[in-house]
Amino acid sequence: MIHRLPTALVLVMLLCGSPALAEKEPLDHKIPPGYVPEEARDEQGLWMEFEEMERTLNKSALLVRDADINNYITEIVCRVAAAYCNDFRVYVIRNPGFNASMTATGMMQIWTGLIIRANSTDEIAAVVGHEIAHYTRLHSLQRLRDMKKKLAAGSVFDLAVILATGYSTPLGQMTAMMSVLSFSREQETEADLLGTRILAEASYNPHASYKVWQRIIAEEEAAAVKRRKPSAFSQTHPATQQRASYLESLVVSTYGEDDAESVADEKLLAILNNHYLFLMEDQLDTNRFGRTKELLERHREIGVEPSLVYYFYGEMFRQRNEEGDMQLAMDSYLHSIEAGAPPPDAFKSLGYLHLKSGDNTAAQIQFRKYLEIDPTADDRAMIEFYLEE
Amino acid sequence: MNKRILFLATTFFMLGGCVTGYTLVEPGQHSIDTMTVNASSGWNLAPGYASVGKRKTAQTWTQDGLLLDRLVFIPAVPDGQPLLISRAKDAALPVFRKDMLPNELEELVESTIVKYFGEGQAAVSTSKLRPHRFGDHRGVMFDISAEVTESPTYNGIVGAFIANDELYIMWYFGAEPYYYDKHLADAEAIISSATLAALN
Repeated sequence: MIHRLPTALVLVMLLCGSPALAEKEPLDHKIPPGYVPEEARDEQGLWMEFEEMERTLNKSALLVRDADINNYITEIVCRVAAAYCNDFRVYVIRNPGFNASMTATGMMQIWTGLIIRANSTDEIAAVVGHEIAHYTRLHSLQRLRDMKKKLAAGSVFDLAVILATGYSTPLGQMTAMMSVLSFSREQETEADLLGTRILAEASYNPHASYKVWQRIIAEEEAAAVKRRKPSAFSQTHPATQQRASYLESLVVSTYGEDDAESVADEKLLAILNNHYLFLMEDQLDTNRFGRTKELLERHREIGVEPSLVYYFYGEMFRQRNEEGDMQLAMDSYLHSIEAGAPPPDAFKSLGYLHLKSGDNTAAQIQFRKYLEIDPTADDRAMIEFYLEE
Repeated sequence: MNKRILFLATTFFMLGGCVTGYTLVEPGQHSIDTMTVNASSGWNLAPGYASVGKRKTAQTWTQDGLLLDRLVFIPAVPDGQPLLISRAKDAALPVFRKDMLPNELEELVESTIVKYFGEGQAAVSTSKLRPHRFGDHRGVMFDISAEVTESPTYNGIVGAFIANDELYIMWYFGAEPYYYDKHLADAEAIISSATLAALN
């Protein structure tokens, strides 16, 4: 699983030398394509649990079923996975957060938040490569076995506490459970390194492997409300800053400086342009305006349809409602309209802003335009109420 | 030993208090803080612990249980405050502003419901924003739908009005299929009947 938040512990890890980084032999896949566990009972049990999870996921209301989006992501997965392509089932989940995950059975989840955070298809491929590496290195199985060992040790600890104090406490088992909820630091580093290698082998730009993390750092810096720091239990993963740094060093030393020309990523742009309304409405609903603004800046830079980007600038400023935001929102809606083919709601939102500023005539002009463009608007009764006032 | 018995007895009584608490709401007029509503059928008032993020004066009613249907009343939300209470400093809950227009009330509820189900755990949409008069106060009603991960889809309706710079808001959610339709007419009639108690 991709983890977003930085921790301080990784600096120590890097100074001490990560086992994965220190490994002399290059990392490789541990299982062949088409792998199915045959002997180990614990692994078979793990597969059964993930298969049940997948049956539930198949019924999820938040599963994105749009063919364009699914084909786009599946194409990336297959290209990075190469011979392992048929091992994976890809599920795109409607969630504006940044995440992707992979189970031992090959069930891959990609959140829509990854699509709106990527500046290029290569960056999505970088995350996909990381997840595939977790799969081919059998990290889920390792985690299960690690959990069993730690639970056994935790039980011994709890028994010792009972004998010493007379009180029963599951502290040892709880600590063991918490420590294995996520992949370990070493597993995350392995997935970073192997993921970057298979990314490059699939002819994606390996520099995307650290750029995707640099963007997460930029977004966190732009956030008005910072995410809580991870608890001591979850401080097992490479910090975002460290991760970006070591991946950049690795990629530059292996593949040279990034000299790729910056060209429009037509496939990513097509996905964003065609599905921007629902993708960004979900982001807007998080009420995290600093992050939304940062994403809009990027979308403007990479060439997403200006009428769409400026419409959401308007929505973001209007809902944020800080000093000066009403004017910024009005300007944004006007930009959206001038850019051509704006969402009909750009006229409506502009109308409401005029209404708020007391200019009923200007409001009614925009409301009429809104109903002209969208005569079957489901809020027609509300708009007509203001037109009749 | 005596201390242990005392501890167990105290725990028992405390837990006993936690498992009771649903009370019958008889048909008729009911005051919820400074708001009054009329119910034509009986409902069950949920205890406070069963409603995540409940404001002190808010109430949650249900017919078949909170997972299947719920009717929420949040009276007198002051300017600058969220509809739900959260201790999490990074929750980024949207807040009510006294100058909000109908479209902004719609957005306020949409974002609040996203937070209610858990950010990223629900895709919420609203539709059919329409004017509605609550007693002497102009307000709005609109439909709402929440697609929730590992849960039924919920459909619902929302009613809201602003009086004395405070927000009075009510929503009904019912699980699809069946439960939304089952209680919709009752819930809509109750929401539509809301007025400020002081005016009656």
